[in-house]
Amino acid sequence: MRRAAREQSSGGRTGAKALVESLERAGAQILFGYPGGNVIDIFNLLPASKMKFVLGRHEQGCVHMADGYARATGRPGVALVTSGPGATNAITGLGTANMDGIPLVLVSGQVPLSEIGTDAFQEADMSGICRAVTKHSFLVKSADEIPETVAEAFYIATHGKPGAVVIDLPRNVQREICLAQYPERISLRAYHPECPVPPGSAAALAGLVNRARRPVIYAGGGVIASGASADLKALAEKAQIPVATSLMGVGAFDTRDPLSLGMAGVYGTKAANAAIASADLVLALGVRFNDRMTAAFPPERGVKTVHVDCDASSIEKNVPVSLGIVADIKDVLTTISSRVKPARHDEWLRRLAALARRSPARRGTKGIAPADVVRSVAAAVGGDAIVVTDVGQHQMFAAREFPHSCPRRFISSGGMGTMGFGIPAAIGAALAMPGEKVVALVGDGGAQMTAEELKVAADERLGIVFVVFNNSSLGMIRQMQERYFVGNFTNPDFMALARAYGLRGVRVEKAADLDRAMARAVRAKGPVLVEVKVDRDARA
Amino acid sequence: MQERERIYVLSCFVENKPGVLARIVGLISGRGYNIQTLNVGPTEDGTVSRMKIGVLGTEKVVNQIILQLRNCVNVMEVVCRRGR
Repeated sequence: MRRAAREQSSGGRTGAKALVESLERAGAQILFGYPGGNVIDIFNLLPASKMKFVLGRHEQGCVHMADGYARATGRPGVALVTSGPGATNAITGLGTANMDGIPLVLVSGQVPLSEIGTDAFQEADMSGICRAVTKHSFLVKSADEIPETVAEAFYIATHGKPGAVVIDLPRNVQREICLAQYPERISLRAYHPECPVPPGSAAALAGLVNRARRPVIYAGGGVIASGASADLKALAEKAQIPVATSLMGVGAFDTRDPLSLGMAGVYGTKAANAAIASADLVLALGVRFNDRMTAAFPPERGVKTVHVDCDASSIEKNVPVSLGIVADIKDVLTTISSRVKPARHDEWLRRLAALARRSPARRGTKGIAPADVVRSVAAAVGGDAIVVTDVGQHQMFAAREFPHSCPRRFISSGGMGTMGFGIPAAIGAALAMPGEKVVALVGDGGAQMTAEELKVAADERLGIVFVVFNNSSLGMIRQMQERYFVGNFTNPDFMALARAYGLRGVRVEKAADLDRAMARAVRAKGPVLVEVKVDRDARA
Repeated sequence: MQERERIYVLSCFVENKPGVLARIVGLISGRGYNIQTLNVGPTEDGTVSRMKIGVLGTEKVVNQIILQLRNCVNVMEVVCRRGR
């Protein structure tokens, strides 16, 4: 009785209440989630919360939605799932966000502390399972740890190289009384991700740029994460350096700019790959030199490569470099801007422009070319939309053919390459950016992995256009197998599927109908599913 | 050219919290490398543990492991000594 009185007078509340308060305090606006037995106490509080709650239809979808929200806004996405299967279902979503350096916080319920290790109903060792696919995780053992843990989780998710963080919260802890308050400041004993520009490195970098005769910038997702797009543009224009991007870097540099070479890598443009292969200086900003990129080049290129990244472990991981700078990209670009001299590389730029004109248009002959579908989408939205993709051939067409001009408006699973990402991520992006047009480009394979989330788009009346590229096969796999696709891949009736989930459905079978159908879909208020029968033999 | 594999001894100072050992061991084994020796104990400061990890690998791989260990939220310091 006395304890209860003390709890009342000193701001005591249940752990569940403390969690909701702390998430609000940390800035969470939308909570994507799915209920279950071990998070009931938290769910009971959500109707009264300032946070909007969005009910997904599968935990993987919930996490991808939070991921889409984070990619569109730059703020951490937040998801809430139950213990056991809820937690394990979230794993793919966590890995997807973490590998692309996307800030995300997942709260998972857990069985009561006294039952941990007893193989209790819906028990899974979430801390153990999520270790390899997250940046960090917490198992909260008393309610008083909750406010600080939430604050630390958001800090870790957003500082250094962003990533996914899990807070595993046992049910009894949700019911205990928490007296602790949300910390005003966070100081982590062992984690200090700040990385100021090392002395001397800016001068060295500027010297290399000023001496280069065939320089190229290779920009990745780190440029977007660091908010350095404007600085990149300033540098490129001042020193007339052409810019190629990685898949994750799409949007970091305006593709309509004459200096843009488009995307590099196995599925990249000829101009971007040729530039990187024959440059005398590659200025790599916030990239990982992932194998989808390096496979397009011989390993020893005799090229000077400068690699700038906030993650020390990504430098020299995959390619040798002549100068590695561990620092925030925006800080580096700001520091060198006054030291870089205006330059012209007319002949170099002319050579690359000639290659860009001879862009490969590998297309089959039967049916609508997938690249034309992307162009039709671009025309319908006037080049201005948040483009979300799934994974596969259509993703590469979307990356190459859409006139991407701004950061955070091309949303795609790069590192993990998660099929099923497109539909839920588009929903997360649309909820994050009300008033913006969102177009989800998905293959017929990925569409069936998370089709259940279409109901969320219908319930929330989101004006998303879901474009399903139907080539009646898993095109990228078919392309890799070259001749035979082993296995019987069959599709459902996508029009019936759209109807079942409350979306308007449009099927396009002839190229002549494409533009009109797309324009109408884009004008529609609610969600529309446009199924386009594309050429099965087209290659990415 | 195949780089030579040697035993490297990594001396790590980490926060003495549950799960930290598993995280560090997972980071090394997750890259396909075998831990040869492992010794964990508290330092004078009971909230800090010291781990000595003997791992067989090439210099490049071990450098990667060190950098990734330093990215770990609970790792305070990593020092490397080359063995045989």
